[in-house]
Amino acid sequence: MTALNQESLLAFRPAVSLRPTLLVPVLAVAFAALIGLALIAMIGVSVPDAVAAFVDGTIGSPYALAASINRSVVFALVGFGFVLANRANLTNVGGEGQIAVGGIAATAVALYGHVSGLPLGLAFILPTIAAVIAGALWGAIAAVLKVKSGTNEVISTLLLSFIGVWLLYWCVQSTMLLRKPMTSSATLPESLEIPDETKLPLLTGDYSFPLHIGLPLTLVLALVVGVILSRTILGLRLRAVGLNPLAAKRAGISYARTVIFALSTAGALGGLAGALMLLGEQYTLKDGFSSGYGFDGLVAGLLSRGSIPGVIAASLLFGFMRSGGINMEMVAAVPTALVVVIQGLIVITLAGAALFIEKWERR
Amino acid sequence: MGGTSSAPAEAEPLLSLSQVTKRFGSFTALSEVSIDLRPGEVHCILGENGAGKSTLCNVIFGVHRLDGGIMRYRGAPFHPAGPADALAQGIAMVHQHFSLVGDISVVDNVLLGRERGILNRRECARQLEKLAADYGLPLDPFARIDDLSVGERQRVEIVKCLIRDPQLFVLDEPTAVLLPDEIAALLDVCRRVAARGRAVVLVTHKLAEIKKVADRVSVLRGGRVVATSTEPANDIDALVRAMIQGSVETLDTSAASILGLETVKHVDHEPAKAKVEALQIDGLTVTDSQGVTRLDNFTLTVDCGEIVGVAGVEGNGQSELTAVLAGMMAPAGGRIYLGKTDLTGRTPKEITAAGVGIVPEDRHAVGCVVGMSLAENIYLNRLDEFTRFGFLRRTALEREAAVLMQRFDVRARGPGALFSSLSGGNQQKAVLAREITLPNLACLIAAQPTRGLDVGAVAAVYSHIRAACSRGVAILLVSSELDELLTVADRIVVLYRGRIMGSCAADPARREAIGAMMAGQPQ
Repeated sequence: MTALNQESLLAFRPAVSLRPTLLVPVLAVAFAALIGLALIAMIGVSVPDAVAAFVDGTIGSPYALAASINRSVVFALVGFGFVLANRANLTNVGGEGQIAVGGIAATAVALYGHVSGLPLGLAFILPTIAAVIAGALWGAIAAVLKVKSGTNEVISTLLLSFIGVWLLYWCVQSTMLLRKPMTSSATLPESLEIPDETKLPLLTGDYSFPLHIGLPLTLVLALVVGVILSRTILGLRLRAVGLNPLAAKRAGISYARTVIFALSTAGALGGLAGALMLLGEQYTLKDGFSSGYGFDGLVAGLLSRGSIPGVIAASLLFGFMRSGGINMEMVAAVPTALVVVIQGLIVITLAGAALFIEKWERR
Repeated sequence: MGGTSSAPAEAEPLLSLSQVTKRFGSFTALSEVSIDLRPGEVHCILGENGAGKSTLCNVIFGVHRLDGGIMRYRGAPFHPAGPADALAQGIAMVHQHFSLVGDISVVDNVLLGRERGILNRRECARQLEKLAADYGLPLDPFARIDDLSVGERQRVEIVKCLIRDPQLFVLDEPTAVLLPDEIAALLDVCRRVAARGRAVVLVTHKLAEIKKVADRVSVLRGGRVVATSTEPANDIDALVRAMIQGSVETLDTSAASILGLETVKHVDHEPAKAKVEALQIDGLTVTDSQGVTRLDNFTLTVDCGEIVGVAGVEGNGQSELTAVLAGMMAPAGGRIYLGKTDLTGRTPKEITAAGVGIVPEDRHAVGCVVGMSLAENIYLNRLDEFTRFGFLRRTALEREAAVLMQRFDVRARGPGALFSSLSGGNQQKAVLAREITLPNLACLIAAQPTRGLDVGAVAAVYSHIRAACSRGVAILLVSSELDELLTVADRIVVLYRGRIMGSCAADPARREAIGAMMAGQPQ
């Protein structure tokens, strides 16, 4: 997925005509899905069974639907951060680590911050804020490295991701940190479950449809990020620095401030995604918490070609794909590897579609 | 002295273009161009920027394919598949920009792309020395390119072509970066090549060069041949008229002087009444990242209402001087004052706020963001004035930008047009508009403000600079065009290897002295 043609995917295109732009990606996804089905048939799994399992896992039940959307929300937040930083020509591939540190901070505050008795929703708001701050700081490290010594942010955010993920591992391995007290040798390396007050409220209050407030929050943030990018001086500064840092500097726009703003905002969104995952779904912090969602969000950002609705569309696609894929694996015994192959196929055909659209428009 | 060659005018053309058309998308760069290039002649192609001169060269050299018309080379239809094909058939070209590898020797550059396997450097060096003697192109075959001056590098480019003994020798604006005596030497080479029965094409927009070497001139305008002459020295006025589609009399005199038409001192601003020092540069020293001193103890004062020109061949410290003055680079020593305000080491923002306008030499690298709109670019340093609670007031921004567009005659589809869609001249006018309309402008530093502009745009840039000057703005004009400085500036200092070689009044009579100082000889 990292071998995609970045140059053409990241190119900023302010206005895109509708006709081929909508049709081609849909055809691309359908094409990839067909190949996927052919592959499933080839390994001897019943195609109708696999399709049924996929549909079941995505929209088959209120629970599946809510879980798929909650997953999409996480991808979208990381994707928004990617798009925002990319406007300043910065490539944030550190979503995974930002989710991890967000999860750590949210767990720590929810469990040991004495917040569960607080009124007005502060019980879950404070852990969320802690996660946002942790993610922002994680992103800011890469920004400072870039400003001070020119370290390429692709490398620094990626390496910081590894550090974040292993930091989380350490946190859940050590009882000094977040691991729950060991009562027997079989105690798993994970944190205690967070108190009920710190869990995110569900939209319906019904646990069979666990859609939490992350969805409306993300839609609001989509609007906010979209407005920042298109309507504010901040968005203009990001663009100026991204397109020509020298001219931006000469015109009095601070390169350092812009880079730090961009990467720490992207990190904050990643941290928020981590908080939503922990406070909204998982409730205990454990090894493998971030689940590769940071990278799925990154790909959603890449495929969106800089557009916020594009991020939402790609995130929904990936969210449902993931849910359906997991169910296909559990119910229809389609190997995980094949599910990943199909996802990769979709990404590649979409990237190809993007190139095609670009050529189409240039004709 | 146009007719010194003895080539008969009726000689069979070596290369003939008939009805040649080249389009880029919807833009027609060449439209039904018919030109005959004859052996033994120097054929000058004259035209403003964007007239299609470079496209013509690239068509001949096989870089572009024709969209219409036909080329015949030695009587047979000619369709070069690419530059390599054109070279193999005896066509050589010196491009506007050098294509040399800096870290290796002259011989190795000449051998590049010519030899495979084992290099015979000694044989090549021997050939170079013979060429040097034949054409008067002295060169050390084993010198490293990076150690050569611009003029010497140009010679390497020429030798690279001549060593192939081309039948047709094309030079695309070769004199833009040369010293006056280097230009004379280059024109002499053109004459000698033609005298050997070869055809030479010289692309230029300088009339003085045409007077010296051309046997025949074709004038391009808007992709068409609009005039030809076989006696260019006598037809200069008509050629200029054809080139700019207007009369010489209406031309701004300084713009005319750039073309080599005349050099009349143009004074339309009052000399400063009372001398008020605006910009003071005291002992400014700049070292680059390798520790090489690029600007050495540069001291200069520019008074209010005075235009001081900085002359010099490019690469002698001008870039560093303007970068430091713009706050883009920290000096190693020295101080900069605007009036009584110390501007040394200040940020670009603070320098702009103090009232210093900067027109950078590299418009695309420092002056603008081509991916943003004209309105955003024309107020790039004052965008904060167009915000409310952090939101951009785009309507107000575009309205104000439209006012500036009108005042500075910036032609574009509208204030929302993408900056990259503007022509070079209009981009430059927009950058100038931004810098010259700073509310408290006290000093304007303009580096190569007319580079790459056509005559109309040049005249506009000069008139705006003069207008600012007559309002009492101190102006530092950095240019490698000596004619430009002689007509616009009041006083000239000459930079050579980072030092001030000398200074004098901007008097056309001092042209030779200034040229010598540019070459490093103190006067």
